[in-house]
Amino acid sequence: MLTALLEQIVNGTMIGCIYVLVALGMVLIFGVMQVLNFAHGVLFMAGGYVCHFAFFKLTGSYPAAIALSMLALAALGLVLERAVFRPLRDNIQMQIVASLGLILVIQNGVVALWGPNALQMRVPTAETIVRLGSLSFTAQHFVIIGTVAVTIVILQLFLVRSRLGTAIRATSQNADAARVVGIDTNRIFLITFTIGSALAALGGALLGPLFLIFPQMGDLPLLKALTAIVLGGMGSVPGAVIGGLAIGIVESVSTLFIPTDFRDTVVFGLLILVLLFRPWGLFGVRVRGEA
Amino acid sequence: MRPLLASTGVLGLFAALYLVPVVAPGQLYALHILTLALCYAVPAIGLNLLFGYTGLVSLGHMGFAGVGAYATALLMKNGIVGFAPALLAGAVAAGAVGLLVGVPCLRLRSHFFIIVTLAVGVILYTLFNNLDALTGGAEGLPGIPRPQPLDLGFIVFDFRRPQGFYWLALTVFAATFVVQWMIVRSDFGRSLAAIRQDETIAAARGVDVFAHKLAVFTISAAIAGIGGGLKVTFLRAAAPLSFELLESINLVMIVILGGAGYLLGPLVGAVLFIAIPEVLRIANELRLVIFGVVLVLLALYAPRGVCGLLAALRRRLGSKGFAHARHS
Repeated sequence: MLTALLEQIVNGTMIGCIYVLVALGMVLIFGVMQVLNFAHGVLFMAGGYVCHFAFFKLTGSYPAAIALSMLALAALGLVLERAVFRPLRDNIQMQIVASLGLILVIQNGVVALWGPNALQMRVPTAETIVRLGSLSFTAQHFVIIGTVAVTIVILQLFLVRSRLGTAIRATSQNADAARVVGIDTNRIFLITFTIGSALAALGGALLGPLFLIFPQMGDLPLLKALTAIVLGGMGSVPGAVIGGLAIGIVESVSTLFIPTDFRDTVVFGLLILVLLFRPWGLFGVRVRGEA
Repeated sequence: MRPLLASTGVLGLFAALYLVPVVAPGQLYALHILTLALCYAVPAIGLNLLFGYTGLVSLGHMGFAGVGAYATALLMKNGIVGFAPALLAGAVAAGAVGLLVGVPCLRLRSHFFIIVTLAVGVILYTLFNNLDALTGGAEGLPGIPRPQPLDLGFIVFDFRRPQGFYWLALTVFAATFVVQWMIVRSDFGRSLAAIRQDETIAAARGVDVFAHKLAVFTISAAIAGIGGGLKVTFLRAAAPLSFELLESINLVMIVILGGAGYLLGPLVGAVLFIAIPEVLRIANELRLVIFGVVLVLLALYAPRGVCGLLAALRRRLGSKGFAHARHS
């Protein structure tokens, strides 16, 4: 039992790290632009596909393929922010319509380019087994956990220490006030969306070798990331990290006690339960007059 | 706003819709698409009341439709009751679940509420998909009978035929449309509009915001339940995939596309949403890509939906009265 529990905790941490990557992008974009980008899951998926393409067709190196995939998706994010989401700021209804439109375009575009079948991406780290006592995992598990940990640290340093990061935080706190002190908020929006898209691509590229790469691979991470940022309190970066990890671990451990079919019931039931007692999320700021 | 002109226009539209099978008797495929669109237009009316008129977005509304659908399906499949009582029972079941969900969730702030409705939708879906004994699991409940023929003496409506079922679906839609109209025009409806415009001011003016939200959420879930019951009777099977998250998002799209807060928005949205992909079948594999582009363009250039676009056009042409005008 203890072995199984430990195994599920490591598995949960790994998948939680993937949720964290998706959630970080979404929480940055939401915090800064007030845009809820439901198309973030297909960016994740597209990241997986581009990484696959880069790995097999352009370079044989997995890290280089990841970097290329992040660059490609950053470029796509740049275009999407400029062409679609910037005109729709302040209109959450039409953001939902546009996101769904983008989901259809990107998901079916990928099917048209690569076909509907799932792709395999065997990279060396996914083939290597690491033994810890009686437990065994692929090296990719630890690649994911390590990469995400480093990413979180870099992102946090960037946001807190650099001028640009400070400008991003300022815009997130109050866009009007940020403009008053001379921050070009349009540029900040563009940069934030680009970073978010690149993080989604990193997630897809990291998960691809473990699971398969297929057109719907981003759907569940999107849902879980959405749950994570709500749990964390909509707009809180540490909240998104802890929310994502918590969801990953809870859902993995819950499979020991409850049939796998009800995994999502547990996760979303837990979300509702937390919000009943803390309607502003675990790390959010309480608004006056709220329950 | 000339109410007489508006109601004449709506009556004329419904008369035209009723005459479709008579005018174009051979167009069974088009009739099938229209009937399917009506099956979406009914739950869209429920969502329109909640979202268009009260300003609350629900991303799990097809979950409530599913509750109604499974209730209707179970009652009809086992021959316990006929179509109309089964549909009403479905509405009651969906409304009851809506009430239960609404009590805790309606206290949450905007974005939190949206995500919680999404969570409720996903939970309901996993229940449909996994409570095999009750819902038949992933296979669903096949073999739902069509309603018994209705014999009026001079004419017999056979609901097993496409024309008959189209008329039935249209009648169910017309009934929910009337309910929507009555609610929107009532004092209750005005209070809902006040809540949408500014909750704090509405509360200060003596509107019990929570009670109103709870009432409209329950009604909205019940109407969605009717839509679900209609859909499974039309498709003759209840399956979990009909009520998954994507379907809930599609429903929100239908309401927004048609024009949230317009009486005819749900109908216009449903017909467009179901018909455009069918028309695009000529483009084969790329049809959903094109549809996606159409959606993005509509989001960018028709921010208040097609009804809003038409109303704006109408205003530009200088006429003030328009059947689709916003009732608020």
